[in-house]
Amino acid sequence: MTIHVFGIRHHGPGCARSLRAALLKLEPDILLIEGPPDAQDMLPFIQNPAMKPPVALLIYAPDQPAKAVYYPFTDYSPEWQALKYAHSANVPARFIDLPQAIQLAQVTHEEQDKEEPLAGSEGETESNPTNSDVLTLPQSGQSEEEQQIQLHDDPLSLLAQAAGYTDHELWWERQIEQRQDMVGFFESILEAMTELRINRPPKDEHEAQREASMRQNIRVAQREGFQRIAVVCGAWHAPVLVDPGPDKADAELLHGLKRIKVASTWIPWTNSRLAYRSGYGAGVEAPGWYAHLWSVKDRNAIRWITKAARLLRKNDLDASSASVIEAVRLSEALSAMRDLTQPGLAEHNEAIQTVLCHGDSAPMDLIRTKMEIGEKLGQVPQDVPAVPLQHDLEQLQRRLRLKPSAEHKQLELDLREKNERARSQLLHRLHLLGIPWGEIMPVRNKKGTFWEYWQLQWKVEFSLTIIEANIWGNTIETATTAYLNDAASKQPELPQLTHLLKGALLAELPVAIAQLLKEIQKRATITADVRHLMDALPPLAQIARYSDVRQTRAEDILPIIDGLFERSLIGLPGACASLDDEAAAGMLTSIDHVMESIQLLDLAEQRTHWNRTLRRIAESENIHGLVRGHCCRLLLDQQALNNDEIQNLINLALASAVPTAQAAAWIEGILHGNGVRILHQDNLWLALDRWQSELAADTFTALLPILRRAFANFQPPERRQMGEKVKRLHQPASQRITGASGQGPILHPAHADLVLPLLAQIMGVSYGN
Amino acid sequence: MTTAKNIEHTDTTSLEQAVLRRHAEQQYAEELAELAKHDTRQRPPNWQLSPWAVRTYLMGGTLKNGFVITPKYVGNARLIEIAVATLATDRALLLYGVPGTAKSWVSEHLAAAIMGDSTLLIQGTAGTDENAIRYGWNYARLLVEGPSEAALVVSPMMNAMQEGKIARIEELTRIPSEVQDTLITILSEKTLPIPELNTEAQAHKGFNVIATANNRDKGVNELSSALMRRFNTVILPLPDSIDEEIQIVDQRVTSLGRALELPAEKPALEEIRRVVTIFRELRSGLTIDGKTRLKSPSGTLSTAEAISVINSGLAMAGYYGDGILNASDLAASLTGAILKDPVQDRVVWLEYLQTVVKDREGWKDLYRSFNEVL
Repeated sequence: MTIHVFGIRHHGPGCARSLRAALLKLEPDILLIEGPPDAQDMLPFIQNPAMKPPVALLIYAPDQPAKAVYYPFTDYSPEWQALKYAHSANVPARFIDLPQAIQLAQVTHEEQDKEEPLAGSEGETESNPTNSDVLTLPQSGQSEEEQQIQLHDDPLSLLAQAAGYTDHELWWERQIEQRQDMVGFFESILEAMTELRINRPPKDEHEAQREASMRQNIRVAQREGFQRIAVVCGAWHAPVLVDPGPDKADAELLHGLKRIKVASTWIPWTNSRLAYRSGYGAGVEAPGWYAHLWSVKDRNAIRWITKAARLLRKNDLDASSASVIEAVRLSEALSAMRDLTQPGLAEHNEAIQTVLCHGDSAPMDLIRTKMEIGEKLGQVPQDVPAVPLQHDLEQLQRRLRLKPSAEHKQLELDLREKNERARSQLLHRLHLLGIPWGEIMPVRNKKGTFWEYWQLQWKVEFSLTIIEANIWGNTIETATTAYLNDAASKQPELPQLTHLLKGALLAELPVAIAQLLKEIQKRATITADVRHLMDALPPLAQIARYSDVRQTRAEDILPIIDGLFERSLIGLPGACASLDDEAAAGMLTSIDHVMESIQLLDLAEQRTHWNRTLRRIAESENIHGLVRGHCCRLLLDQQALNNDEIQNLINLALASAVPTAQAAAWIEGILHGNGVRILHQDNLWLALDRWQSELAADTFTALLPILRRAFANFQPPERRQMGEKVKRLHQPASQRITGASGQGPILHPAHADLVLPLLAQIMGVSYGN
Repeated sequence: MTTAKNIEHTDTTSLEQAVLRRHAEQQYAEELAELAKHDTRQRPPNWQLSPWAVRTYLMGGTLKNGFVITPKYVGNARLIEIAVATLATDRALLLYGVPGTAKSWVSEHLAAAIMGDSTLLIQGTAGTDENAIRYGWNYARLLVEGPSEAALVVSPMMNAMQEGKIARIEELTRIPSEVQDTLITILSEKTLPIPELNTEAQAHKGFNVIATANNRDKGVNELSSALMRRFNTVILPLPDSIDEEIQIVDQRVTSLGRALELPAEKPALEEIRRVVTIFRELRSGLTIDGKTRLKSPSGTLSTAEAISVINSGLAMAGYYGDGILNASDLAASLTGAILKDPVQDRVVWLEYLQTVVKDREGWKDLYRSFNEVL
């Protein structure tokens, strides 16, 4: 009877390849794998053809779905290969780690809270040397103490340093994963690790328990009479499993540990999640590259660079075959200069950037996302146990009495009711997670902001989305929060952030809201673009205004609004200077946004400041006519100008000294908005009329498109009213004009007298005498 | 014969001492010789040093016998490795980047280390014509003898081809496009036809081209993609960290100061740090502590300019001051380096003075001196 221990690194293609070869040679009669025994029942799913890596084993406490651990597997995970082998050779495979039922029981609530919802992984990874979280390059400035800590967490760096590498990942990559010669591979890993673990006991009690548990399980297999036992575990644990010895100490260590109830299932995983380092310890930096190394047997340099060239071509970047040849040559020359046996990812990247991208680093982002990470979503069979997120959703659906159905259904929610608000909250949250079960409809026939109309329809593909969304968290709330936090950290621009915030508020996610507000404030202080600040205002104002219905805290938002508003006020006049037509039109929208927010909040002080700024803009000369005109208009609408002031502004804007194009733009600006309100500004129409009649014929033709555009946005009835207005414009005033200028129609009293009697007769009045 | 040679030798050395700036291979002759002595690794055809030794020459290091090689390029060693590997694979190298990122400097030292000769130089200007890249004619001879080898005026490029050396082209993008195209045949066919003589000049092993170009200038001639494809492009970045930049400035100021024989003391590191800080802050539009946003002036504010600011400050201190570099010596040249546009840059600079320099601890002297100059 023999025990063969294979020390591996999780997700190492080199390890996986060697392991498969070693297993084929050894033909063990049982495989013991470092993994959670809780998930033993899940192993048969591996042979299901619908199972497509990357996938992850999820182990969670059903009553507290937030307590969970993920064990990701992909094609080139040595564990996955071991399981595959066990299935094909028809030998039993067992997980032998300390059960998660015990490990999760040890996780206190505090720890759980501290952790990000994504990062529930203490099981496999925490004490593993090959994938520790503390992947920091040793820096010269580090204190001795820091180094000590790091070595304890990361013993491999000792070996790497001995070999002259600063980055132990790189060392492992070069020495282990890219190795061609497989002879004595696991023996040497074992030897190195044994050397490292002399005088180095398990890091803490937790690790001691895990190793004890693995030894115990090996003993069980021994007792059952298996002859060739293969043990697959993280390299760090290998030395202590070689010879289990007497079981007394281990049994004591494991005696009486508290357990909780756990459930497990398979969920699809993604490549980018494999690369996600901070949360999940076993992150691999370039899963796409590893997959490439795994799937390609020979000439991987040529294939990789050719793939990159094809990708660049697809994105309309030049990449000729001749350049590919040169890139391969450069990459090989580089590896020779660096004394490597063959080029690694770094060499390839440098060669691609230098030759194919002409030194430009921008296309390298494309290569990073499309090839190095290589977005790929795994698949799991339909019949795996439901994911915790699904459970949580079902629970909520039952509690809120919202049954999923494939038919269209209308739902009318009164947000003042607690239960109905919870329903709205759920629908909003699902929306954020990309599950548009309900579509919100405009509210009709009802007054008040506390009404919401939804149209519900459950679609089958939602269940798939739920499984995918489980990556973000195990309850709807944590998943949405995690998703929003992630999205917030990726959004560089303010308007998108406020948009997210709006979603978060509707979905009532306090943690995400706090995070988003923080991000918004951070972004606002460094945003150079005033328009972004202005565009961010309306959603915030909406939230502050309607906060009473949703019971979100307006006091959190108002300071942010104030900050944004003040910055906008300071920046606006400067930002209005020297705009071209297009930028001016954009500025118009942003100004309207601020106006909208002010109307919503209706704070007297804000309004005063705002109107002062508007007036400043309206009165300054060197600002685009469109913007000036519109500022006038906004002031008019608020009745912030008296008649003289209006007349004055109009005269200035339409004076003959003003370039006609600017004057026309001004007209467009002042007309922009509601048509009815402008209808009664007689002085405006008069000035407009005068200005137009003074235009030279060809200038008028040139300006016609702008003028036409200015009126184009009005409704036909509005336009008709305006036309009639203009027609009648001169009637009440015509006499004055006639009197003043003497150019009116000439009256012939003698002729008129002839008509008058007849007229009197028709109208039934007496004439003359 | 021997005496004649000796005289010639002493002549050149005294001549060398009199020149303002010696070629890299002369200035660092000792380092190159030591490197060659200890270089046991494989050398590409006609190379004076192996690629590994070339890297050591540029990045600095200590040889087995304890001889110290000074670093010529401070920055990412990987870039230099790419450059050397490019030349070793027989591809032309294009060093690209904003002004003042040591492109010409790296090009010169690469040529010096690889060939021991950095003088085969073509300076690209708007007036560079084909003759500068191919060959010209000695017209007197041409008229007398007709086309002949003797009447040919060989360009540095042709020279490099025939001797298997490295030709350098400075400011490639300033050369008119139609002249740039001449390079395409040279780089791909490695031959230069001379139809007048019905012959051609074929490149010998070791021939290669290092070109430099900057991507900040306006009114330059963009490289055609056909030409671009024949170069491996390495973009030299501005220094990453402030300490790196300070080291570069310090090193260059010291060596230049020696060459110019300035009567001033070597500047205190602190003074260099202040200048570099100002340059970096204005360049990135952000204070070093990352708290305040700043406007950036129109100039590049490269490391090279920082070096020249300190140098002229040293000259001021040496000739008109007390021999020690201080704020007032720096003020004039620093202001001049930053105010490239009299209107816009002035606003930027004033804002910077008021919001950053004024309140920064220990910068009072700078603030006063700057205000005197403005």
